[in-house]
Amino acid sequence: MRRLVSLAAASVAMGLTLTACGFGGDDDGGDGGDGGEGGSTSLDLLVPQYSDGTTALWEEIIASFEEDNPDITVNLEVQSWDNINDVIRTKVQAGEAPDILNIDAFSGFAKDDLLYPAEDVVSSETMDDFQESFIENASLDGTVYGLPMIASARALFYNQDVLTQAGITEPPATWDDLLAAATAVSELGTGVFGYGMPLGSEEAQAETSIWTFGGGGSWTAGDTITVDTPENLAAVEFMKTMIDAGATQPDPGATDRTPMLDVFVQGQIAMAVGLPPTIGQIEERNPELNYGIAPVPTQDGSPVTLGVADHLMAFRNDDDKQEAIRAFLDHFFSTDVYLSFVDTEGFLPTTMSGAEGTANAERFADFLEVLPEAQFYPSTNEAWAATQGALQSLVGQIQTQDAASVLQQIQASADNA
Amino acid sequence: MTTQTETRPVRRHSRRPRGGSSRWGTLGRALPWLGPTLVLIAGVVFFPAGYMAWTSFRDLSQFGVDNGPAGLDNYTRLLEFTALSRVLTNTVVWVVGVVVVTVLISLGLAQFLDKAFPGRRLVRLAIIIPWAASVVMTTTVVYYGLDPFYGIINAFFVDIGLLDRPYGFTRNAVPAFLTAMGIAVFVSLPFTTYTLLAGLQTIPTDVREAAQMDGAGSWATYRRIILPLLRPALAVATIINIINVFNSLPILQVITGSIPGYNADTTTTLIFKFIRADRQIDTASALSVVNFLIVLAVILVYLRVVRPMRED
Amino acid sequence: MAATTTSPSADPAVLQVDGGRPARGSRGRRRVLMAVAGGVIALVFVLPYLVMLIGSFKSRAEILQVPPTYLPQEWLPSNYVDMWSTPETPLPYNLVSTIVISVCATLLVLAVAAPAAYYTARFRFPGRLVFLLLVLVTQMLQPTVLAAGLFRQFVTLGINDTWLAMILVNSAFNLSFAVWIMHSFFAAIPRELDEAAALDGASRLQILRRVTMPLVWPGVVTAIIFTFVACWNEFAASLVILTTAENQPLSVALTKFVGQYESAWQYVFGVSIVGIVPVVILFALIEKRLVAGLTAGAVK
Repeated sequence: MRRLVSLAAASVAMGLTLTACGFGGDDDGGDGGDGGEGGSTSLDLLVPQYSDGTTALWEEIIASFEEDNPDITVNLEVQSWDNINDVIRTKVQAGEAPDILNIDAFSGFAKDDLLYPAEDVVSSETMDDFQESFIENASLDGTVYGLPMIASARALFYNQDVLTQAGITEPPATWDDLLAAATAVSELGTGVFGYGMPLGSEEAQAETSIWTFGGGGSWTAGDTITVDTPENLAAVEFMKTMIDAGATQPDPGATDRTPMLDVFVQGQIAMAVGLPPTIGQIEERNPELNYGIAPVPTQDGSPVTLGVADHLMAFRNDDDKQEAIRAFLDHFFSTDVYLSFVDTEGFLPTTMSGAEGTANAERFADFLEVLPEAQFYPSTNEAWAATQGALQSLVGQIQTQDAASVLQQIQASADNA
Repeated sequence: MTTQTETRPVRRHSRRPRGGSSRWGTLGRALPWLGPTLVLIAGVVFFPAGYMAWTSFRDLSQFGVDNGPAGLDNYTRLLEFTALSRVLTNTVVWVVGVVVVTVLISLGLAQFLDKAFPGRRLVRLAIIIPWAASVVMTTTVVYYGLDPFYGIINAFFVDIGLLDRPYGFTRNAVPAFLTAMGIAVFVSLPFTTYTLLAGLQTIPTDVREAAQMDGAGSWATYRRIILPLLRPALAVATIINIINVFNSLPILQVITGSIPGYNADTTTTLIFKFIRADRQIDTASALSVVNFLIVLAVILVYLRVVRPMRED
Repeated sequence: MAATTTSPSADPAVLQVDGGRPARGSRGRRRVLMAVAGGVIALVFVLPYLVMLIGSFKSRAEILQVPPTYLPQEWLPSNYVDMWSTPETPLPYNLVSTIVISVCATLLVLAVAAPAAYYTARFRFPGRLVFLLLVLVTQMLQPTVLAAGLFRQFVTLGINDTWLAMILVNSAFNLSFAVWIMHSFFAAIPRELDEAAALDGASRLQILRRVTMPLVWPGVVTAIIFTFVACWNEFAASLVILTTAENQPLSVALTKFVGQYESAWQYVFGVSIVGIVPVVILFALIEKRLVAGLTAGAVK
């Protein structure tokens, strides 16, 4: 009885506050807070942090945009890559998506029917300027939703001095060459490891994809995710061979990509798969490193690489913002603004005018060369996000477990999604 | 003074407030004292808690769009999760191990810091630091120090000959889990020690002196006199530790986050693997509800067995 | 009684209770031994932060050098100047934000929790246990999981991205431990004290302020530190509720130094050190209260 009374009191108190909170109210108080006075529009822009210059770069772009469009204000929110998925999920769940988002994958949002089709939010000139392969990768069921924003590809970085020391004259082109070269380096006994294999949760899906694509494998067949296939198994088994032969750094299963590349930059790992920004890191950290860039070794030596594109996308929140969004995105993709972004962040451009105008053409020649052979993640497949997560958190187990059973576990996660 | 020492301070003090005997009357008198707490909790906590429970019965897309009711699907998916038993075992080891070790060390530390010695103030200040620092940062710096390549702690072990070459403390499930437990104890010590220290301060010196005069040895004095008087502080410290350690996310996330598989996961870190890796917010909500029920049950059992409130 | 007496040899330094009266010389030696032991303990607790402090003086390249250096080859105190004006985050604002949120939330918690703790410790009333349990239950919820609901709630209330929202969140979620900690201390105070005061005709509030409060200072101080530290380091809710960079606390600002391919660890460590200092100062200021707790109350 006593308990009942106090429970009743508690629930009355709760009821009062909830009423006061106006919970459940679908009053459009969402954007009432920030200045929607007169004809002015405000846009929320959520972006990830690519480098320490990202915030400043966006602020510059926004300033020049607001100068041209005094009736539009853009609210910038920058989040680290570690956190941006949590932030965007919370916002979407609460029905408070930003107006424009910059992130890797767009398909989940498109599936949830949250996005404007790309052609509704950029001019046809902007639309026509995107390179064909990227547009394909930004479409879902024939409609383009993502605006390919920046791209990167992977290539093999090798330490020339260490390879020479180990008697290797040419960068490896096939898996067998790679195994031989890496083993030779490890056997030097200098403490330098042959090949850096990052299967920690940070980017295990990238390293694995490089191997499976290089063995002619694929993550999809039609509409289904296919992890446990003979080609993929052969690739993963070869990865395990590398590990068992001592050709990699210790504990590859729990090594993350970024720290591994740091170690490569400092000359303690002879070969590793890197990205365009790796060049900048070497220049900054260890300019004396005598290194070269070669296509990623594959099973038979034919060139394949993993391509990755990040996208901009526009959320359908209020119809009256569509024009403002279009103005901003067109501004962003105008050649000068776009190149300032891509060149400063050190990525590959996704537009044709960008490819012509980029100041980094020479610097990134090795990557631009392999880009036509690039394969992408099947990120338009609904189950890919979960598959990628499963790859990140499970594939490193090949260090201690049988490759086939690890792939089966990942396949199970994909089937469950 | 005499009355004070003769009173066992933990004796039950509850009594009914003076005045009207009706239940509503007493409740009415309690409300001004308790009301603000209730309002704040009801206003801020109830909605998100209810929201969490509600989403555990919904079918949510990977970005949180609601696709309708899911019945018990999310809970069924949990039961079908293959690594569940390992994760539950880890959780028990994690909570029991960390809390027991923390409390034992803290009892010793509090006793030590209760005595006067030169520099005590500085030692007390030093002990507060792990508390002042954010858990994430403490964990990050240890993780950094234990890195096999650029870690200072690992390099130190090699330099003093303890290791032949750097060891991957944070690269394999078992050593990483133990490392995480060590950090969890480390960051829990300041609060626990201080609660116990504060508890010791409320024990009048003459109580101890009286005991000493009886001729009781120090261990006997401690066990029979001090420990019982410390009971309220000890109970609160233990409860808070159980809850905090159970819900602790950052330590395991930083230390074991890059390790593949579920061998180093507790139910709390599993929630985040569901959210981040598997993109199953709804399953994660279901696990959160289960997680909450587990800790609630543990605390209820604890309260029943230990009876820190001395209610009956 | 005497039969159960055990020798104090178990661990004299730790267990022996003050009040045994050894000869002067051995007492002096024991104090030295204790000071040495204290020094060792202090070192253990400080060590990780020493690593942090030293790292914060290293250059961006050296901090990830393989093999590592113990001491910086080049000391860069300038890191502590530069970090206030980095492009990543407006750090001075972040510090102010952290201070405002933590101080306000701690005061609010104290104001709300102290009466509740006092009343539940002093009086028996229907639902007393239910109340204490309800309060405790709020703490058992995993804050990170609640962030989604909190965000939604504050958007509806229209106070998203404000300090007020975070003050409320921090207060509500730290209330329970504050109530429980203070409750246990209020409960341990001999009630004869306030009975005597009541006979003098003091009101309940006066009793609380003049008689009980001084006696429970150790508990109140523990609760204050606990609350303040928890608010100071809160991350999960701030991350989603505070969207403007200037409003975000240090805990969120720190993550901005961790980039996709490169991280400014020297700043991460430096900012962490800066974040520790105010809490230690706060503690140094009120620590005396902890020691003085009992004596203050006994002197009437």
